[in-house]
Amino acid sequence: MRITTLAAFAIVGLAAGSQAGVALTLGDRAPAADVKMKNVDGRELTIGEVAGARGTLVIFSCNHCPWVKAWEQRLAELGNACKAKGIGVIVVNPNDPAAYPEDSFEGMQERAKARGFQFPYVVDSTSGVARAFGATRTPEAFLFDAAGALVYHGAIDDNAEDAAKVTKHYLRDALDAVATGARPAIAESKAIGCSIKLRAD
Amino acid sequence: MLREVQGSLGRVVLVNVWATWCEPCREELPDLVRVQRELGGQGFRLILVSADFVSQRPAAAAFLAAQGVRSPTFAKAQGDQEFIDGLESRWTGALPATLLFDRQGRKVAFWEGKASYAELVAKVKPLLGGG
Repeated sequence: MRITTLAAFAIVGLAAGSQAGVALTLGDRAPAADVKMKNVDGRELTIGEVAGARGTLVIFSCNHCPWVKAWEQRLAELGNACKAKGIGVIVVNPNDPAAYPEDSFEGMQERAKARGFQFPYVVDSTSGVARAFGATRTPEAFLFDAAGALVYHGAIDDNAEDAAKVTKHYLRDALDAVATGARPAIAESKAIGCSIKLRAD
Repeated sequence: MLREVQGSLGRVVLVNVWATWCEPCREELPDLVRVQRELGGQGFRLILVSADFVSQRPAAAAFLAAQGVRSPTFAKAQGDQEFIDGLESRWTGALPATLLFDRQGRKVAFWEGKASYAELVAKVKPLLGGG
């Protein structure tokens, strides 16, 4: 079987719909900020409750996605460093565990412990928070500034496969900017990821 | 720039971006292969593009061979941002992602997420028209 490497060809045209709602735009406030979600420690938390004085980071993630797994150590390190920066963090799993048993609550508890998460890892039990954000993939990061405005949306960095080959530390740089009250130089980025397995409405 | 699609002018082309680790992609691929087998003679071409990590390309090749894919396929060879925006600016990066071109090379549809065999046929057949 021959596989040829392919530089992407540019295409301009019409798009015909997508999986979830329209994603947030820069400047938007976090939707569904008062929706309670169960954390791996049993507490019910909302995005509003974890907001930090300098900003709030919301990441849609999960257990099963190999791209999440590739980035997970970096995600944990960045998330764990947020408290010292005055940035609140919450990682949200919107997937339907019926579709992916690895995304069960027990699986989340094990993963949070194994990776040393020092931030909430919660269940979006209806996938409603993901829908409100217009999130489509895992991992997908949304960073809000001290005023609650979206200032960064997208990937963790530009190389899931090899941390040593990262050239653009999108989320790290955005967090550093927000921590000082500055605006991230790169406000949006894209990366391949696993489509979110939304629960049925 | 559109080399593969433009090289297929006169045929309806479906470009599907997938990966071995993407369960919906794996579920969808047999239906894509079936559509190619059934409609290839009417001027339909399937272009598969793997977004697997470089280290996973052997697994991608093995999976495609097991699905009976004999024609050449492709793999992403650049950074995600450039790859995604080069294909479709509205693509968020979620897999699977599919683009559909008519016989004149015009993109007529794009969608994220898995499509069933029936949905694929419903989208492709009208474009095949009278040949």
